[in-house]
Amino acid sequence: MGISDGSKYAYIAARVRAMKSKLIPKEMYPKFLNMEIPEITRFIGESEYKKNVDEISKKYSGTDLFEHALNENLALTYRKLLDVSQGEANFLITEYLRSWDIWNIKTIIRGKFSGASEDEILEDVVSAGQLRYRDIIEIVKIDTVEGVIAAFAGTPYYSVLKEYSGDLADIEDKLDKMYYSNLLKAASSTENKLFLKYLMKEIDLKNLKLLFRMKRGGMEREDILKMLIPGGFELKDADLNRLSSLSFDEFVRALEDYSYWKAISDVSEELSSLWNVETRLDKYAQSYITSISYYYPLSILPVLSYIISKKIEIDNLRIIVRGKETALKEDIIKTHLVM
Amino acid sequence: MAAELIDPVAVAAQAKGLIAIGAGIAVGLAGIGAGMGEQTIGAAAVGAMAEDEKFFGKGLLMTVIPESIAIFGLVVALILLFVF
Repeated sequence: MGISDGSKYAYIAARVRAMKSKLIPKEMYPKFLNMEIPEITRFIGESEYKKNVDEISKKYSGTDLFEHALNENLALTYRKLLDVSQGEANFLITEYLRSWDIWNIKTIIRGKFSGASEDEILEDVVSAGQLRYRDIIEIVKIDTVEGVIAAFAGTPYYSVLKEYSGDLADIEDKLDKMYYSNLLKAASSTENKLFLKYLMKEIDLKNLKLLFRMKRGGMEREDILKMLIPGGFELKDADLNRLSSLSFDEFVRALEDYSYWKAISDVSEELSSLWNVETRLDKYAQSYITSISYYYPLSILPVLSYIISKKIEIDNLRIIVRGKETALKEDIIKTHLVM
Repeated sequence: MAAELIDPVAVAAQAKGLIAIGAGIAVGLAGIGAGMGEQTIGAAAVGAMAEDEKFFGKGLLMTVIPESIAIFGLVVALILLFVF
């Protein structure tokens, strides 16, 4: 990595490091568990989320206010990364954040499919990708799924969306596959091989989560294979083929051969709920990207580390508030947190 | 015969000229080196400051650290000009 390679990332890397220092420290989460929702909302309203809470408090209150403020903060934070980055960094961040476009497209189509109202759909939209919020509002106004798909003509997602023939899951799988395929191509065009390795591991983790859920749900091998995303680091096509044909218990035992086992081994005996496993896998992803971001401090890796840490912070806050709202026990809420 | 052709005044002037060129190269290259260092540190300092103004002092300090290389170049140039 030459001087010019490093200097083009110096600005954005230092900026995200400063932004990362403002994230809520993990020591705060146990304190949140002892607080009531109004106390947490007040604390959040005095933190980095102040602007979002103030703006949205005119329209919403209680947990809805919280939910909307978190979504808006996440979208604005990611959009800021796009605005302050240039060149290769901007290109890679744009490609990575397209996952939010996919999220929004899925949300809108699912909403229209199930007959949800415009407000209900917009509640779950996070305009952190390339699709602008004002465009999403217009698309949400369309009544039919076919109309919504037609509205995406001209976007890179249309080539997949136009294949829609009533099978929602099929389109969703294809969108995910397209996203990762494009992202791997973008990552391959850079010199930073650790970035590519991380993305491949991310695919592995996503596949593992899918396998756990599908195996638990007792789905057939062919149906599972259709959903899995190719291009993983350790879980190659042959591994996915083998794992998807095993029973749930055999599948869990077979994971001992992979490096991800050390992340989930301590919860492998208590798999009554898959939350434990998913939380551990999320933690593994965060720890891994954070550790490799120190190897290449002047690269896209610190930015990616921030993007993932920010998402985890938002998810943790949401879990705490939703858990408190439904009067879940602290221990249960705690197992769902990625700390 | 050859010795008679060498003009001591011209040789002294030539030596002085070479010393001046050497001094120029010392300052110039040191300046370029310092600039390359400051390019990265300056960009990072501005990035950190954009997020948090408290980084102004540290950022400024870090940015001027490569300036010492330029000073080394200047010292070498002064030694060349005034010692030799």
